[in-house]
Amino acid sequence: MKNSRRIVQIVILLGVFILGGYAIGSAVFKSDDKPGRGSEPPAFSLVGLDGKVHKLDEYTGKGLVINFWGSWCEPCVKEMPLLEKTWKAMKDKNVEIIGVNVGEDELTVKNFVGQFGVDFPILLDKDKLATKKYAIGPMPTTYFVNSKGKITDIYVGMLDEDTLEERLKQLN
Amino acid sequence: MKSLLDFSGDAFLAAFFLYCLAFVFYVIAISGKMWKKSDPAAHLKRWKVISFTTSTLGTIAQITYFFTRWIGGGHIPTSNMYEFMSFLSMMIMVAFTIVYLIYRTAVLGVFAVPVAIIVMAYASVFPQEVQPLIPALNSIWLKIHVTTAATGEAFFAVGFAAGLMYLLRTVDFASKTKKAVRAQRWVEITLLSVLIIIGFIASVFTFRAMGYEAVFKQTIVTVDSQQQESSKIEEVKYKLPAIVAPYDSETVKFDSFLGMSKPLFEAPSWMNGANAGRKLNTVVWAVISGLILYGLLRLIVRKSLGAAIHPAMDGIDPEDLDEISYRAIAIGFPLFTLGALIFAMIWAQIAWSRFWGWDPKEVWALITWLFYSAYLHLRLSRGWQGTKSSWLAVIGFLVVMFTLVGVNLVIAGLHSYAGV
Amino acid sequence: MFQNTKCECGHQNHVGTVLCEYCGKPLNDAEDANEPLEMRYDGVARKSQKANPSLIDKVWNFFSSVKIAVYLIITTLLGATLGTIFPQESTFINGDPSTYYEKTYGTIGKIYYTLGLSHTYTSWWFVTLLVMIGTSLVICSLDRVLPLYRALSKQQIRKHMRFLTRQKVVYQQEIALTGSAEEWVAQAVKPLRRRHYRVHTDGSALLAEKYRFSRWGPYINHIGLIIFLLAVLARGIPGWYMDQYIAFPEGEVKRIPDTNYYLKNEKFTVKYYKDSELPKEMQGENRLIAELYETNAVLYECVEQCDDPSKKPVLKEVTRHNIEVNKPLDYNGFMAYQTDYDPTLRLRSVKPEFRNKETGEVYGEFQLEMRDSALSYDVGPYHLELKEKYLDFGLNEEGQPVTKSQEPNAPAFLFLITGPDLAKEGELYFYFPLQIDKERFDQEALNAKLSGDFAKKFEIKVNGMKNVGLSTTSFLTIRVDSAMPFIWVGAAISMLGLVMGFYWNHRRIWLRFDGKQLTLGGHTNKNWYGMRSDVANLLKQMNIEVDAKSLDNGGENR
Repeated sequence: MKNSRRIVQIVILLGVFILGGYAIGSAVFKSDDKPGRGSEPPAFSLVGLDGKVHKLDEYTGKGLVINFWGSWCEPCVKEMPLLEKTWKAMKDKNVEIIGVNVGEDELTVKNFVGQFGVDFPILLDKDKLATKKYAIGPMPTTYFVNSKGKITDIYVGMLDEDTLEERLKQLN
Repeated sequence: MKSLLDFSGDAFLAAFFLYCLAFVFYVIAISGKMWKKSDPAAHLKRWKVISFTTSTLGTIAQITYFFTRWIGGGHIPTSNMYEFMSFLSMMIMVAFTIVYLIYRTAVLGVFAVPVAIIVMAYASVFPQEVQPLIPALNSIWLKIHVTTAATGEAFFAVGFAAGLMYLLRTVDFASKTKKAVRAQRWVEITLLSVLIIIGFIASVFTFRAMGYEAVFKQTIVTVDSQQQESSKIEEVKYKLPAIVAPYDSETVKFDSFLGMSKPLFEAPSWMNGANAGRKLNTVVWAVISGLILYGLLRLIVRKSLGAAIHPAMDGIDPEDLDEISYRAIAIGFPLFTLGALIFAMIWAQIAWSRFWGWDPKEVWALITWLFYSAYLHLRLSRGWQGTKSSWLAVIGFLVVMFTLVGVNLVIAGLHSYAGV
Repeated sequence: MFQNTKCECGHQNHVGTVLCEYCGKPLNDAEDANEPLEMRYDGVARKSQKANPSLIDKVWNFFSSVKIAVYLIITTLLGATLGTIFPQESTFINGDPSTYYEKTYGTIGKIYYTLGLSHTYTSWWFVTLLVMIGTSLVICSLDRVLPLYRALSKQQIRKHMRFLTRQKVVYQQEIALTGSAEEWVAQAVKPLRRRHYRVHTDGSALLAEKYRFSRWGPYINHIGLIIFLLAVLARGIPGWYMDQYIAFPEGEVKRIPDTNYYLKNEKFTVKYYKDSELPKEMQGENRLIAELYETNAVLYECVEQCDDPSKKPVLKEVTRHNIEVNKPLDYNGFMAYQTDYDPTLRLRSVKPEFRNKETGEVYGEFQLEMRDSALSYDVGPYHLELKEKYLDFGLNEEGQPVTKSQEPNAPAFLFLITGPDLAKEGELYFYFPLQIDKERFDQEALNAKLSGDFAKKFEIKVNGMKNVGLSTTSFLTIRVDSAMPFIWVGAAISMLGLVMGFYWNHRRIWLRFDGKQLTLGGHTNKNWYGMRSDVANLLKQMNIEVDAKSLDNGGENR
């Protein structure tokens, strides 16, 4: 009798402790669903201009720069040459640069890419699903993901050579 | 249809005057025995019947108002502040009638009826026209939620009236001990806050009768989704002389009042909600006129108001008051839970997709509920009776009133009806 | 401290017992004490009252205290007020909270944000308070309900004299008995039964009891609250909870992120109140007050090629519903709520014709969508190839054509047209669907430059408004909340408990004869007024007139 009562007490306290701990824990470490520094980038699966489907997985083990852009966004357009140049330079250094176009038609993107001589891989996010997952607000926004698959930085605004350089260093 | 609404308005007025009359009769019923030569018991008995009949007639008149307006307006009249407050006053009278039928104490009428009168007068401050219903309010759950919540709150109002009576009956107004003085002071503050509400109503009606108006142009800066600031100019109309002008505003028109021809202050910048400046001005006026009223009454009775009312309460059993106060709250609590929380959640789930959103009004309903649950726990398990419990009943109703009025006045949220 | 818990009737009570569990005699009774007894939980020891508390006992005791529970309630109440001072972060969709508060409210706003009060209700301390209240609910209830249940299920009919005289409702009198005491008691059964009492007699002693179930009210209420809180917690289970706010332009099928569902806004309608329907004071101000707005929605489920973005998903219609405020779409718990709308008309499509300007001959028309425009069109004998497209046409600093936004504010299309009598490589033609843009960007001059004479002979032109597709946008909240049924069950149970506990009260009347002396005690957990009137009524039926009020033995009202 006495023993069983003790067991009931312990079970209840334990249950309360676990559930309560979970509740408080999820309040303290709440991930408001927005990816942040140190977290893993959300998975995506997008069609590239090359017509193939690209997933986040294929970049594992590499440093990754994901640039969200649109042809209507002036600073995005202005940083294109820098990204192109960097892509060419870093191609063999285990760093990949990809551009995710936000919501535009393939035609528009193709024309744009042709017009500005962009060769680095461009993925199309026509339904803006990835854009939403990555919580993109103002553009351009650039995610830096290191070879361990963790976000090292999220840069909002136009990149210049120094800021890009500095962030690329953290990728390996 | 228009004539039905007119009739409804007449019934409302009739109810108001019947309540006032009933109040006078209840006062005669309990105090008459002091100066009448006739047999006090017979006197009380007769006047109890007269006053209860009058207040019941008033309640019937108000119920008539309610249903004729419902038919005439096409939807249940609980969708703006005027309609809600008059419904609340009606339910206070219904709650009073129920409690009266249980306990048959005339003295309860002396306090509960004026609470209903004040709430009703407060209702009349707001625009009375039947307003078009916005889609969010077009739901059966609105009717159920608002009416049940108001019924619960009406019982809290009766609990408040009885609690205040208990305090006026038991606080020792002659004593100079620290404890007694503190109790006296708080009773006085409670009465003052009631006077501030009366003062508010009085000033609104006075200036409305005078046709007072002041108009300001206010520049409102808003930040849109692209972080772009845009400003627009809005016209703000004051119906009370503007002591406080809206923030960042220009005077367009200002009827002069007692030589005052421009606002004395401007509202602080953070008070930038809808009509914040006007609301602040209203609060300032309520406090000023409440203080003036209080001062006048003090001049007349030449002692604290509590001490002036105290003798009238002689011979009433304080335990009865304590029990009535508790009983009213015990009846009101489940109703309040059902109406203000559960039905509110059901409606919120249907209309806004979430049953709970920590909207200020929701939070204050929860605060009210927590407060009364603390009251019940303290009373049932920790033996808080009499004075302590009465204080809680008084404070509880102030919390209710803040939820109903203060939140709209001070904090804007989804629930804000149009304010004055 | 040693405490003798053995009663004079021989019953051995638990530590902490106030009234003997068997005969009801007050333990540790002083002879001259007369004030009413402490009847809470019928005087039995609560579970937590123990001789030598261990650490677990101490934690248990902490949460089992009503005093602590009240402190928790008050603290939560005060904490909750803090969150209503300024709007919470969760209420604004736009704007950056870190600057918003300081910008809007100055220094106070900054402090408010720094203290984390901008998200009061999800802060660690507030959640901790709620968890502690939940814990207190569980432990307080368990601690009391079991002993109370035991006490009420084994009640003695004949109670100790001191137990009766120290009740709050007491009547003691010599009765001029015409028959035996047993007969008197037997007669008293009927009037009590009429008042819904269950009556038990034991010779010249009687116990009448009614509405015992009301004692379980508070505990049922607490169980309901616990279920409610657990249901809220259960939203953390993966897949149980989803909340999204999505714009649906008319005519577009949109995928709901993280699901296999697609939703199409077929048509959005908003109906405003007519001016004459508004109150007089609002008339003539051109106020637009919506009376009704609804989205004719179709919900599709993807059945094939769902996860391959390079292929077109195969959709199957699962349901359709006209979503209005207060009338959400509900498909097996997948909910879509009408939340907002943007009545601004946007160009969705045009159906222009390709014609010969000189002869007026129309070769045909074609459907041109603003989004996802097809790349080629066959119009009569001619073939149009879409080469470039700008939704919001403009020129950049270098004079190159660019689009200035994603919205079709000033759409422009560059076609390459081939067909009879045209140059073999085709002719380029710039087409602006909107008349205003045609003039603004001088379509004619542009085309003259691109293709010379071609543009003088041919043109692409929309013939009348019926060939222009415009659309508004509806904003829906998409939600899945699998915890809802449990939330409602919890609320219903809690409400049931409240009604049981508050609208009924547990009343008991004990009476015993000692010779000719009748001793009666009455107890209720609430509403003494009703208790006294029950006793007065009983005595009246037994031809004893008493004033109900005089039965009151003083003490506390509960």
